Amino acid sequence: MQRIFLVLILIGVLQANAQDNRRYNPAGMLSLGGRTTVSLFNDHENEMTGSGVGGQFRLRFSDAVNTDWFFDYITSDILNYAHRTDYHIGWSVLFYPINNLDYFRQKEEFKPKFRPYILAGHCFDYSKIEAKVSPLDGPMSAERWSSAVQAGLGTHLELSPRFDISLTGQYMIHLGNHIETEYDFTTGALSFHEHKGASLAGHVLVTLSLNYKIAKLWGFTRR
Amino acid sequence: MGIHQKIIGLFLLASTLVYSQEKPWSHWSIQSSYFQPSLLRASATIAPTRFYSQQATVALINGFVEYVLENRISVRGEGNIMAPNGKLLYTNSPEKFPRNFTSIYAGFGYHLGKRNWKLDLHAEPGIAISEMAQQPFLIVPVAYQWSISPSYMLKGGTSFYFSKYCHFFAEINYSNGWIRKTPLTSVSIAQYGISAGLGFHVLTKKN
Repeated sequence: MQRIFLVLILIGVLQANAQDNRRYNPAGMLSLGGRTTVSLFNDHENEMTGSGVGGQFRLRFSDAVNTDWFFDYITSDILNYAHRTDYHIGWSVLFYPINNLDYFRQKEEFKPKFRPYILAGHCFDYSKIEAKVSPLDGPMSAERWSSAVQAGLGTHLELSPRFDISLTGQYMIHLGNHIETEYDFTTGALSFHEHKGASLAGHVLVTLSLNYKIAKLWGFTRR
Repeated sequence: MGIHQKIIGLFLLASTLVYSQEKPWSHWSIQSSYFQPSLLRASATIAPTRFYSQQATVALINGFVEYVLENRISVRGEGNIMAPNGKLLYTNSPEKFPRNFTSIYAGFGYHLGKRNWKLDLHAEPGIAISEMAQQPFLIVPVAYQWSISPSYMLKGGTSFYFSKYCHFFAEINYSNGWIRKTPLTSVSIAQYGISAGLGFHVLTKKN
């Protein structure tokens, strides 16, 4: 029994030692990037496909876990009588189910490769809906703050050890108050209604981002 | 001259030949490629651009700055401004085309090819800032409103680096976006354009 414990401890020490001696550890890697987003299948009545732009930084915590911290500015039409603007600021955790593709340890020339991930996170959302044609007494609009959660799948296409293109598909559910528009097609009258309380309204977001690793904040490589 | 002296003389001659072969070759291999990491390049040119949804062609003034991060990767920022009175062809009513238009993009480039002739690919998210007519049928004179719209640009082109400080470039681009703040349906700013000219570059770090 003592021998078994001894062997287990020895294996544990060896593993710990192997971890310590790694020259390349991705933890602490900071990336900076830009992104463009398409908003699809919006729950809002008559809302059409939206498009957006934003930025993000990415901070990696381990071989298998990365995080995205993003800002998006998305606009979309509600038929031809109103338009909607969304600002998203939030974060997502990226989990790499296949993380044995260790590009940090490559000895030969780098070859582009895909690295798929599962993603989940949270964001704060500010939405504003404005009428296309303002009434004579001034612009007509409604706005709200809400919170949202999102989850999805994606993949990096790593074109160099430092540069990657990432494609993500995720569903974002907005929690809390929401605004509804009511439009009378015969009279052209438009009105906004704010509904308080929990409601699950969401949309599919497809995001393409370009990222470059700019710094390693901790876990410096050994020489 | 004895046989030993002749052999030593031949060795000496051969060694100088080897040296003279290596030196120019290594010099050539370094100097032959101006496109290297830390290269900073910039240019400005006029870019004829077709807004095909609006059936209008305009002259945009295009400028860019690009920094080469790695052998194949660069980061790039660029802007387009509609030249004053730059509408070359105009077939639509004012409420369907911006009176002023500016776009700003920032993204990355991927460069293929060896030495001084490169094939360049760019993807750049950005914004379009435009001034559109509001309520054109109700108020005279027409009121205009500025708005900022998300946009993106895809660009392909080629560059030839022919000197230490200059290169030629030719590019074709496609960009898209929607101006939502309009009294009617949103206005598409889908466009394709070309730009070409003389660019300037400098190596910011010495090898």
